[in-house]
Amino acid sequence: MDLLKVSTSPHVRGNRTTRTLMLDVIIALIPVFVWAIYIFGVRVITLTSLSVVSCILFEYLFQKLNHREITIGDFSAVLSGVLLAFNLPVSAPLWLCVIGAFFAIVVVKQLFGGLGKNFVNPVLAARVFLFISFPHQMTTYVAPLTYPQPWKISVDITSSATLLSQLKSGVLPENISFADLFLGRIGGCIGEISSLLLLIGGLYLIARRVISPLIPLSYLGTVALITFFLPKIESAVAWEFMLVELLTGGLFLAAFFMATDYVTSPSNPKGRVVYGVGCGVLTVFIRYYGGYPEGVSFAVLIMNLFVWYLDRYAKPVRFGGESRGKK
Amino acid sequence: MHIIIIQIGVIVLALTFRGGIHIDDHKTTEHCVITDMPAPAVVYIPVSQHIGAPCIPTVHPGDTVFRGQKIGDAEGLTCAIHSSVSGRVRDIQPIIDAMGRKTNHIVIENDFKNTLDPSIIPFSKPLAEATPEEIMQVIKNAGISGMGGAAFPTHAKIASAMGKAKKLIVNCAECEPYITANHRLLLETPQFVIGGTLIIMKALSIEEGVLAVEANKANAIALLKETVKDKDMLCVKTLKTKYPQGDERQLIYAIDKIEIPQGKLPADVGRVVFNAETCSKTYRAFTTGLPVIDRIVTVDGDCVVKPQNLRVAIGTPFSDVINYCGGLKERPAKIISGGPMMGFAQWNPDTPVIKGTAAILVLSSDSVAKQVKNSVCIHCGNCVRVCPMHLMPNYYSMYTRKGLYERCLDFDLMSCMECGSCTYICPAGIPIIQHIRTSKAKIREKKNTKK
Repeated sequence: MDLLKVSTSPHVRGNRTTRTLMLDVIIALIPVFVWAIYIFGVRVITLTSLSVVSCILFEYLFQKLNHREITIGDFSAVLSGVLLAFNLPVSAPLWLCVIGAFFAIVVVKQLFGGLGKNFVNPVLAARVFLFISFPHQMTTYVAPLTYPQPWKISVDITSSATLLSQLKSGVLPENISFADLFLGRIGGCIGEISSLLLLIGGLYLIARRVISPLIPLSYLGTVALITFFLPKIESAVAWEFMLVELLTGGLFLAAFFMATDYVTSPSNPKGRVVYGVGCGVLTVFIRYYGGYPEGVSFAVLIMNLFVWYLDRYAKPVRFGGESRGKK
Repeated sequence: MHIIIIQIGVIVLALTFRGGIHIDDHKTTEHCVITDMPAPAVVYIPVSQHIGAPCIPTVHPGDTVFRGQKIGDAEGLTCAIHSSVSGRVRDIQPIIDAMGRKTNHIVIENDFKNTLDPSIIPFSKPLAEATPEEIMQVIKNAGISGMGGAAFPTHAKIASAMGKAKKLIVNCAECEPYITANHRLLLETPQFVIGGTLIIMKALSIEEGVLAVEANKANAIALLKETVKDKDMLCVKTLKTKYPQGDERQLIYAIDKIEIPQGKLPADVGRVVFNAETCSKTYRAFTTGLPVIDRIVTVDGDCVVKPQNLRVAIGTPFSDVINYCGGLKERPAKIISGGPMMGFAQWNPDTPVIKGTAAILVLSSDSVAKQVKNSVCIHCGNCVRVCPMHLMPNYYSMYTRKGLYERCLDFDLMSCMECGSCTYICPAGIPIIQHIRTSKAKIREKKNTKK
């Protein structure tokens, strides 16, 4: 009976690890992926796998060259790759994907110390970087059920206007099919079109306690409230305007999968609500008054910068704390 | 169908607190009847088994002692100790105890005659005529301390709650995995627990007593309800099965929705909490005069051949207890005194059983948490969600790793009671409790050097 291990308690641990959490998020995104293949064709698979492979490769190479521990086994790079592809239009040239992966993994994540140390969401930062650097390629959206060539590096397609850009010019198109909007029979980025499937994925994560419902609820709730009571197009029916604002663009994808990114969101409940509301207000503000039709990425990135302070100043009242002391 | 409805009802209606974790409870010994383990050839009785001053031995090497004879006592906040066997005092020597402290142990050789100290007699008066002072004196003489783990001297707890407490709560939550000692006690001798409760209530002139049991002990709840049916002063409450439901603060909150303010005691909100076995030992001290010379210990873990509940003489080395249970199946990674969440890993299998030893767990490397190298906090906030004290443990780890111990105080470090929920849930496998203890120790150290 020699050599017993001695350590502090607790001596048992739950079976969740960083890897299983990341895997859960990836599982939640599978329906969205399948739907995107149905709407946009096989090029979705090409872009997503290229993005995933580049992310893993860049992480591996960076850590290898810097003599750091290789952490690709935690699947966070895989998830970044999937989310990055989901934030690109299907017509995006393949090299755009690789540049995005480099920016997300090397510049935003690894240069700041790797997993857990980046202060903004790598995927959103990469998306904004590509958006500003390659505005044409990033905003060429194809109409649903038109399939671009799967393997060609760049594809020539005619761009179809998205609802958000129409809203930007002050027009709420007539005869909108809300069923199509909700199901995702619309143009847009690969992973953002089907609000229904994103919602299902989000509910799966909430049920598995991978994410807290507070951020999506406060984010979506804020956008819904502002767009309902203060619609930009005053002639429009308020609830129609609100639904279009909610169901188009990357709002659902951001609310459930990007704004909830652990590293760049607050870890306490009150902070999460403030963060979600902030994301909502900024999103609507940018959509109403900004230069771009879509404001989700900028909104979340800006709120990322407040996380440290939200954690510090919105910390929960401790058990038996002064402000709640009864009797 | 109706069983499902009842189950759902239990889950929804059961009393609880915010935070905490659901652990695989491993209560494999819940059907094991408590059996008496014969006292070993030699017992090692530490002079300090509880919070407070260590006892001064009243015997010397070479003395003959009876079973139940007082062998150590002291003034102030302390608890008397008694010999658990009859025999000869061999030595008084310093040994490292179950909590890792170096303590003097009185080593007694068992003569196997089991001669009881002639001064041990039942309490002379009926309970109705006993004064609080007399009751406290009996408890003090019997060396009763909290049997749940913290081992606060019971007579001192009664004295501090005198006049303040309006309600007594008997802690039968037993929220730690593996341990079933209290569960078996409630099933086999409920009248002891209830009798002891009534005695302590009498001492404190309390009119209301609550037996709080976790929902996973349905048979004990049913039996207790049946037993207290004719007693208006007592009731049984079902608690949600959740860790750390058995912590005093969480327990009181679950039952009365009162948060004990920081730095205050249960008595300050009119409550006082006693462990089930403490009550049982109190009853025994009154009816037979026997002091605390044994306790119920759950022996479990995947390395033990025959897991069971035993009544073990205080001072029995763990190795004797494990051998009595058939020895080891495989090479253990850890021997734990207490539960897996808050217990102490032992370096020496000969550590003796003391009054606070609710369990001896012998776990293989498959059952214990593995150390994670280079664990990285991903800021997921799970530790914040489960913290029963509503703190932010992720920041304790971050600051401790950087050596900024005092920054932890911004996040109320000292309110942490080290239940281990954060470390259990952490997906990155960060030893948060280790960090918390490091910071607490460093801050105390600095405070002491300033003085």
